[in-house]
Amino acid sequence: MNKTADVTVVGGGVIGCSIAYYLAKKGADVIVVEKNKGPSFGASGTNQGACPLQLFEPPVLELARQSLKLYKNLSEEIGYDIEYDNVGALVCSVDEKQYSDMKKHVEKKKKQGINVRLIEREELLKLEPTLGENVVVGVEEWESCGVNPFKVNYGFACAARRLGARFLFSTEVGKIEKDKDKVTSVATDKGKIITNFLVNAAGAWSPQIGKMLGLVIPVKPRRGQIIVTEPTPLNKRWRCISDADYLLTTAFDLKATEVSKDKRIKLGVAGVYLQESTGNWTIGSSRDFADYNTNVTMQTIRYIAKRAIKFIPKLKDVSCIRTFAGLRPFCYVDGLPILSKVDNPQNFVIATGHAGEGITLAPITGKLISELIVENKTSLPIDAFSFSRFKNAYLQNLG
Amino acid sequence: MQERKVNNIVCRCEEVTEQEIRDAIRKFNLTTVDEVKRLTRAGMGLCQGRTCGSLMEKILSEEINKKVSELLPLKKRPPVRPIKIKLLAKKERESE
Repeated sequence: MNKTADVTVVGGGVIGCSIAYYLAKKGADVIVVEKNKGPSFGASGTNQGACPLQLFEPPVLELARQSLKLYKNLSEEIGYDIEYDNVGALVCSVDEKQYSDMKKHVEKKKKQGINVRLIEREELLKLEPTLGENVVVGVEEWESCGVNPFKVNYGFACAARRLGARFLFSTEVGKIEKDKDKVTSVATDKGKIITNFLVNAAGAWSPQIGKMLGLVIPVKPRRGQIIVTEPTPLNKRWRCISDADYLLTTAFDLKATEVSKDKRIKLGVAGVYLQESTGNWTIGSSRDFADYNTNVTMQTIRYIAKRAIKFIPKLKDVSCIRTFAGLRPFCYVDGLPILSKVDNPQNFVIATGHAGEGITLAPITGKLISELIVENKTSLPIDAFSFSRFKNAYLQNLG
Repeated sequence: MQERKVNNIVCRCEEVTEQEIRDAIRKFNLTTVDEVKRLTRAGMGLCQGRTCGSLMEKILSEEINKKVSELLPLKKRPPVRPIKIKLLAKKERESE
């Protein structure tokens, strides 16, 4: 028998489940379609759960800021502990040449209204004895947090379900049917869903969904590799420490990483070192393109390990218990998310391209997409994330 | 099913009990061992489920009335045994 829904969301990751939750909260009848056996089988289940605010730049910065605000009370709101952890964020450099850049970083962040503080080497070492002799300077800020990404994903899913949302797992979209300029139904291997809206939150797989409607969604899977260690005693002050090079490898500057002579930068290795409340460290990460391959590579893992020891020398005698890799939906035109309706079909909504920032941006993405669908306007401007921004890029490609 | 003591420790590394695992499966309608791991931490410790993995499978198969052979196996990732970060960081060959 056919199912009917106000909104069908493709993708049961943290973005899809957040959208389902905020839509259900507004009274919409939602169905989530996920091809895997449960949530968190893509990027949502293969990340560190770090949300370091000072690493964001406009226009995404405002989304991150609002998302962090939503995270603060999320456990209470959805009735499930997402392990919100007020770890703050320290961006740290081990390169003398970066000193002036770090000073500029502080000035810029202050102008953006982020409460950052520059900390010189001596004070860094005093406040955090696990930091190594190599550190040059650091910038701290306490608006950032860590969360348990699995729990965020399942928490949103369960809260949505309580509000009436339905979840179809192990269900794959086969065909999307259209009538003139509107999607009418979604055919899956478990039956047809007649729907008023269709949301593409399929992350690294979102281009395949777009293709069913003849749309080119300029997103490709970018692989990130991460090391997990056994627990160690908790750090005194900072449990979320980022390599200043992070700004270099994550910003949309693929050219800079490509032309770099440093093999590490070429592999996109720049760390966020996050110590969870359990004492375990997740040591990230890297950025490379390997299609849909989720294997880790020894070479990249080696560079990640080597780099981590530079920042936190005591990690060298700590055991790695696991490595893993995940696929981030990366927009190869400008590196920005796509949060947008499209002209045709007019009831098709795209929410993807979050790259390595999906966990940070999940709550605000759900909220904004629900507003876009139910109220046809959003509480924050999302023009910068519009699908129409690609028109020119396409023409250039064709020309 | 017969009532029985379920406060047995299933995952010794992370100290997760049978009851916690059964509760999580029921609460979240879990169908895979990976999900049980993610939500209870069973199998997230030093042994990475090498000891408790088969117990988790057995509990899950009881809860959802499926054979163990029908379950999606726990995802395996390197390393096979815990390895010091300094060894991971070491060059494999001088030529690199």
